[in-house]
Amino acid sequence: MTALLEVSGLRVELGHGRGRTEVLHGVDLTVEPGQIVGLIGETGSGKTTLARAVLGLAPPNSGTVLIEEQNTTKLRGRALRAFRRSGAAQYVFQDPLRSLDPDRTVFDTLVEGLVVQGGRSRDELRDAADRVARLVSLPAELLSKHPGELSGGQRQRVAIGRAMAVEPKLLICDEPVSALDASTRITILELLLELRRERGLGVIMITHDLGSLAGVADRVTVLYRGNVVESGSTQEVLLAPQHPYTRLLVESVPSLFDDEPLDSNRRGELRDAVRALELDEPVASVAGTR
Amino acid sequence: MKQVASALHTRAGLIAAIVLALVLVLAVIGPYIAPFDPLKNSGAILQAPNATHWFGTDYLGRDVLSRVLAGAPLSVYTAFEAVGIGLVIGVIPGITSVYLGRTYEWITLRVMDGLIALPFLIFAIAVAALLGNAVQQAMIAVGILIAPAFYRITRAAVLSHANSQYVTASQLFGASLFRVIRTHVWSKILPTLVVATANATAAGLLIVSSLTFLGIGVVPPDPTWGGILASDLSYLSQAPYGPIFPSLLIMATVGSLNLLADAIKDTSGDHGRVRLLKRRGRRVGTA
Amino acid sequence: MSVLLDHTAERVPLSSSEPQEKDVHPTPLLRVKELRVTVATSAEVVHGISFDVPKGTAVGLVGESGSGKTLTCRSILGLLPAGAEISGGDIEFAGDSITTLTRRDAVRLRGTRIAAVFQDPASYLNPSITVGAQLAEVFRVRGRLPRKAARDEAVELLHAMGLHRPAHVYTQYPFELSGGMLQRVLIAIAIAGEPELLIADEATTALDVTVQAEVLELLSQLRRDRDLTLVVVSHDLAVIAQVSDEVHVFRDGHIVESGPTRQVLRTPRHPYTRSLVDSHERFGIDHIRRQRDDR
Repeated sequence: MTALLEVSGLRVELGHGRGRTEVLHGVDLTVEPGQIVGLIGETGSGKTTLARAVLGLAPPNSGTVLIEEQNTTKLRGRALRAFRRSGAAQYVFQDPLRSLDPDRTVFDTLVEGLVVQGGRSRDELRDAADRVARLVSLPAELLSKHPGELSGGQRQRVAIGRAMAVEPKLLICDEPVSALDASTRITILELLLELRRERGLGVIMITHDLGSLAGVADRVTVLYRGNVVESGSTQEVLLAPQHPYTRLLVESVPSLFDDEPLDSNRRGELRDAVRALELDEPVASVAGTR
Repeated sequence: MKQVASALHTRAGLIAAIVLALVLVLAVIGPYIAPFDPLKNSGAILQAPNATHWFGTDYLGRDVLSRVLAGAPLSVYTAFEAVGIGLVIGVIPGITSVYLGRTYEWITLRVMDGLIALPFLIFAIAVAALLGNAVQQAMIAVGILIAPAFYRITRAAVLSHANSQYVTASQLFGASLFRVIRTHVWSKILPTLVVATANATAAGLLIVSSLTFLGIGVVPPDPTWGGILASDLSYLSQAPYGPIFPSLLIMATVGSLNLLADAIKDTSGDHGRVRLLKRRGRRVGTA
Repeated sequence: MSVLLDHTAERVPLSSSEPQEKDVHPTPLLRVKELRVTVATSAEVVHGISFDVPKGTAVGLVGESGSGKTLTCRSILGLLPAGAEISGGDIEFAGDSITTLTRRDAVRLRGTRIAAVFQDPASYLNPSITVGAQLAEVFRVRGRLPRKAARDEAVELLHAMGLHRPAHVYTQYPFELSGGMLQRVLIAIAIAGEPELLIADEATTALDVTVQAEVLELLSQLRRDRDLTLVVVSHDLAVIAQVSDEVHVFRDGHIVESGPTRQVLRTPRHPYTRSLVDSHERFGIDHIRRQRDDR
C-alpha cells in the first residue's frame, strides 16, 4: 500500500527580510490510509507550520510533500487550485467559532467545497448537505441556522462536515477538541474514529495535549523546535519514550490515577537534559518501528 | 442591502430615510414643480418671503423657491457622482491590495498617501484649470480626493478578515480569489463601506456646495444649493433670511445621511448580528 | 464514607456558631452558602452552590464553560462581570460575611487576604512596565517598604517561583517572557501580599503540558511552604486530580458531586462525573498507562 502522505526533509522558513527564520529543520512524516497520526509539540514547535506546509499554505524551502504520490510543493496558481479542488487534503481548525463564516448558514458552509468544484445542481447540493449532516450527526433542522446559533460541539461538527463534504483522503485536525468542553470532546473524538473506520480516512491530529490523543492515535510523532525527535506507535512512544523531551512530555501529563504526584526531581533532570541538547539544528531522531 | 433594511427598524434610521427619500423626490421632480423660471430676472429684487414668492427673491429678482427646487438634481447627483467615483477608485485597490502581493500593495499605498497629501482646493482648482471648469471635471477631482478614505477603510476591513480561518478553508477548496472575496470578505466589509458611503455622500454634498460657492464646477446662472447660498451671502444686510432656505436643505440632507450611517453602524457587523439574534429571541451562542 | 452531595448539612449550621462549637468544628477559611448568581437577563445561572474550604486545604472546582464555576469564583473575589449579581446566599471568609462588604473593605480584603491568578497572565500585566517593577509595587504599597528593600524582596520571590536568573527577569518586560514565566510572575504578584487564600482560575489552561506541570508543582509547593489555602478551578479533571484534596463537580449551575478527590475519581457517583472519568480512561494518557498495568 502506498502512503497517503509522505513528507520528507521538509524545511520551512517564515517571516520577511531579516526576521526570516527556519521553523522546520528537515521533517519527515508518513501517514497511511486509515491511520490516525498524532503530531505533538509545544507552542512554537512548528506543528502548525508543518500542517500548513502540507496543505501548501506555507511554501517550503526544500523537501517534498507527496500526497497520493503527487508532489504538491511545486504546485502554484492555477495548478494548485486544480489540485485543491480534487479535495484530497482538508483542514479542521482549532476554534470552530472563528473557523466558520458568521454570515453564512450551515448549509452554505457544508457545501462550499462542492460549490467551488462546480457542476452540481441545487438539488444535488441539498442531497449532499443532508448526507454530510448525517455523517457528522448534525440534525437536519440546523442546516438553515447561522454559526452563532450553534453550540461549540455543533460548530465543530459543521467544520468537520465542511471538510468531509469533498470526500478527502487526508484530514488534518489542528487541536480539534481543545476549545471544546470535556463532554463534547468525547463525541468529536468518536466521530473522528468513526470517519476513519468508515471512510478509511487518514488523519493527522495536531495537539499540545497528549491527554486527548492517547486513545485515538495509532502513531505519534513528537516535534520539538522544528525537529522530529521521536516517532513510533502510540504505545511505544508513550510507554517507553526514548528521547529526553518525549520523556519529559509524558512525565508532565497529569493523570487521574497516578498515586504518586508528578515526580518533580525526575522531570527536573529531564528538563536539564532537554536544555542541554541545544536543538536548533537537525538531530538524529529516535524513530520507532512498528 | 440587508444592512440598510435592518437600519430602518431603528427610529433614527427611519427618520433619516424619510428625509432622504423626500430629498431624492425633490431631486427628481424639483425642476418640474418649480412655480417660476429659476433663471428669469425680474424687477422685484431681494423680496422677503411672501404669498407669491414663498422663499422670497434674490438679487436679480429670481424666485428662490424655484431656484432651490431646480438646483436639487444638480446638487444631489453631483454628490452621488463624486462618491461613486471615489468608491470605484478606492474600494477596488483597497480589497486587492491585501491579496495581490507586496509590490502592488506598496504601490497602491504610496499612491493613496500621495492623494491624501494633495491640498484639496488647489487640486480642484488645478483640475478645473486643466480640464475646463465644468461639473464633470470637478466631480472627478472630488472623487479622486475622497478615494483614499475608501481605500483605507476597505483595506482595514479586509485586513481584519483576510486571514480568517474560513477564508483559508475556502482557499483549501481551491476557490479563486474573486470567489473568496465575494462569498466571505464582501459581507464583512459591506457594513463599514455602507457607513463610509453615507458619510462620504454627506461630505460630498458639502464639498459640491462649497466648490460652487467658490465658483468651481457649476457655472452661474445654473442653480445649485451651494451657489444660491453664495449669492445670498453677499446680500446678507438687505435680506438676512436669504441663506436660511438652501442651508436648511443642505443641513437636512447631510444630517440625515450621517444619522443613517450611524443607524447602519449600530445594526450591522458583529454588534448588529447579536442585536438581530436577540430581537428574534433566539439563543446567542457563547464561546 | 461521606457522600458530600449535601455535605454542608453534615456540618454545623453557621447560625449556631457559639464559641464552644467552633472548637469542635473550626470555621472553614472560606464558606460558600447557597450562593445564587443572576445575570443581566435576570436568568439565574448559579443555583444555590454550597461548599467549604478548610484552612490549608486545596479544593478543586471542575466543570465546563457555563457551569457556574467561574461566576462562583468571581463572586468570592467580588469581581462579578457587569450585569451579574449575587441574588441569594452568602460567602463567608474566616467567619465573616463578605458579600455585604463596602467597596473599600472588599478591595482591602481582595488585596491582602484573598488573591487570584487567571488564565491569560499577559492581560493582567502592564506591557510597558518591567515585571519586576510591577511586583515590587506590591511590596511598596502593601508592605510600605522602601524602593531598595522592595526590589530585594521581589527578586527573592521571583527566585522562589522557580524562575532562573531572577535578577534578570526582574528587569524584563512582559512581552519578553514566555507564558509559563508570566504565570509565575503573576502568581508571585498574587502571593506577595501574603494572602491566606489563592484562587487559581484556569491558571494553567493556556500553558504547554510541560509548563503546566511546573506551575501545578509550584502551587502545591506554595501550599506546603506558605500554608496557603488553594481553590483551583479547571475544566480539566486531571489538573484538579494533581493538586486538590477535595473536588466539587459543577454542572449547569449546580454542584452535582463533591468529595475527596481520590474517592470521587475512583468511584464517581453522578453520571456526569463518570463520563468525565470515562473520557480520560478512553482517550487520555491513562488509557495507555492502564494497558501497561494490565500487561
